[in-house]
Amino acid sequence: MLSSPDIQAILVSLQAASLGTILGLPLAIGIAWVLVRSSFKGKAVLDILVSFPLVLPPVVTGYVMLIVLGRQGPIGSLLYQTLGINVVFTWVAAGLACCIVSLPLMVRAMEVAISGIDPKMELAARSLGAGPIKAFTSITLPLAYRGIISAALIAFARGLGEFGATMIVAGNIPGKTQTLPLAIFTNLQTGDDGNAIRLIVFSLALASISLITHHMLLKRRGFRNQ
Amino acid sequence: MSDFLNFNFSKSYPRFELRTSGSFPDGIVAIFGPSGSGKTTFLNCIAGITIPDTGEIRLNKKLLFSSDSQTNISPNKRRIGYMFQENLLFPHLTVEQNILYGYRLTKPEERTIEPELIVDLLEIRHLLNRNTEGLSMGEQQRIVLARALSTSPDLLLLDEPLGSLHASMKASIILHLEYIYKELQIPIIYVSHSLSEVLKISDYTMVMHEGNQLFFSRTKALFNHPELSRIMSPGAIQNILEATIIEHRATHGITMVQIGTKVLAVPYIQEPTGEVTSISISAADILLALEKPQNISARNILTTTIEKIDPLITNFLIHTGPDPSLKVEITSDALIEMNLSVGMEIYLIIKSNSITLLD
Repeated sequence: MLSSPDIQAILVSLQAASLGTILGLPLAIGIAWVLVRSSFKGKAVLDILVSFPLVLPPVVTGYVMLIVLGRQGPIGSLLYQTLGINVVFTWVAAGLACCIVSLPLMVRAMEVAISGIDPKMELAARSLGAGPIKAFTSITLPLAYRGIISAALIAFARGLGEFGATMIVAGNIPGKTQTLPLAIFTNLQTGDDGNAIRLIVFSLALASISLITHHMLLKRRGFRNQ
Repeated sequence: MSDFLNFNFSKSYPRFELRTSGSFPDGIVAIFGPSGSGKTTFLNCIAGITIPDTGEIRLNKKLLFSSDSQTNISPNKRRIGYMFQENLLFPHLTVEQNILYGYRLTKPEERTIEPELIVDLLEIRHLLNRNTEGLSMGEQQRIVLARALSTSPDLLLLDEPLGSLHASMKASIILHLEYIYKELQIPIIYVSHSLSEVLKISDYTMVMHEGNQLFFSRTKALFNHPELSRIMSPGAIQNILEATIIEHRATHGITMVQIGTKVLAVPYIQEPTGEVTSISISAADILLALEKPQNISARNILTTTIEKIDPLITNFLIHTGPDPSLKVEITSDALIEMNLSVGMEIYLIIKSNSITLLD
């Protein structure tokens, strides 16, 4: 039913969305913790910066990433010179694009989860001999478990739909960086509507699966922290 | 008798300043004061959760905090058990995992208290496999106490631990605390705004008021301190007296005790005659009369004289003496109508049931 390039596109999409989620989740937990628990002067700036990818046109986000990660860019040149790695126009770049655009969603979900936990829980753990990291990993993280699942699944679903930034920073190379949305776009452009519709149905199915999983996991009786 | 805690520190907030210095001798020390007087901030500074601006804190001579030498031992390394006002049981762990949380983080060579012992002492063995939902307040308190003790702490801080408990539960926790101090040799600092709790539990009391420590005294001498009336709400002043048991009238449910040369009837005490015990009488529970009352149900009528009259926030405090030396709280109306003055002969009327035993 699906041709080999179609399966390739689905695999690239799954890879990119997974990479974006795995990279973004610890980052989001860290940022959310800082935003909820600490108070410092630049907090508002961090808060605004995190939200940027949510309001910028994804094409702009992609372009900024291209500049930063490109061989002439600050991070891209460093990676190329030290490790010989070129990120731009690979599936990794698609993953990074997923990570950046879904980061605000993950941070917001984690903020809600962490602010629902009494900060004194960590203090109680500290008084029982736990260092700050141990208190965080043994008390706050498990108590924020619903938030973490929620953040991961929302980010994964968002990553599957990522289009604009990916096209700029990863390109639209079939079998290499062409994701599901990019494949649909290409099919529509070339007039292959039949194939496009098959991919659209498949994309709907994928999105439904991740959203239904999200719903099921959160509905199940878990830790009673909220 | 040595001091376990030496401190001298201050902490400023925009609208509040805590300023305190002193030493706590071994025992159970209560910190008493109205809400907002800085009791919890004091505990937080000792525990290392709040960092003082300036000063020094030593526990068993070991430096915990010093602004001069930039020392600040982190809370997890202070070896201080802290029972917060809220129960703060970890909801994702079972009761047993809660209790073992701190034990597992304690170095084996520092484990002097085995959780097995505490679990039996606090009678919570039957709860070990439960999760933290659906526990009664008393059970929660005992589990939190067990959790704090399982780290074998050098000091136990309790912030209003009995606030939400019923009287019978309070009595049982108080017994446990006494055991913890006597058998496990762990000094306790106990924050409370309830004088009756302070009287029952503590050996010493630090009284706080608006971020300052008003005074420090033996709990039994607390009410003799002239500063105390400054912070007391009406009805809260107590007379604490040493009384010798002279006779039991078990069938009447009373015991006769001697205070100075006077004899009082008090509720039955289960102790042999000749024993000395402490009793307390609320200053507001004593009636004052100018003539000897006739045909009255109250069992105790004592003659004495007025030594001193002090204004309280709303009422007046009459000091009588020398025999017996008591404090009687009356309204300003009563003071004016009865035309009371220093040196007057008066009668004190005390119901047996308004006398409580402290030991």
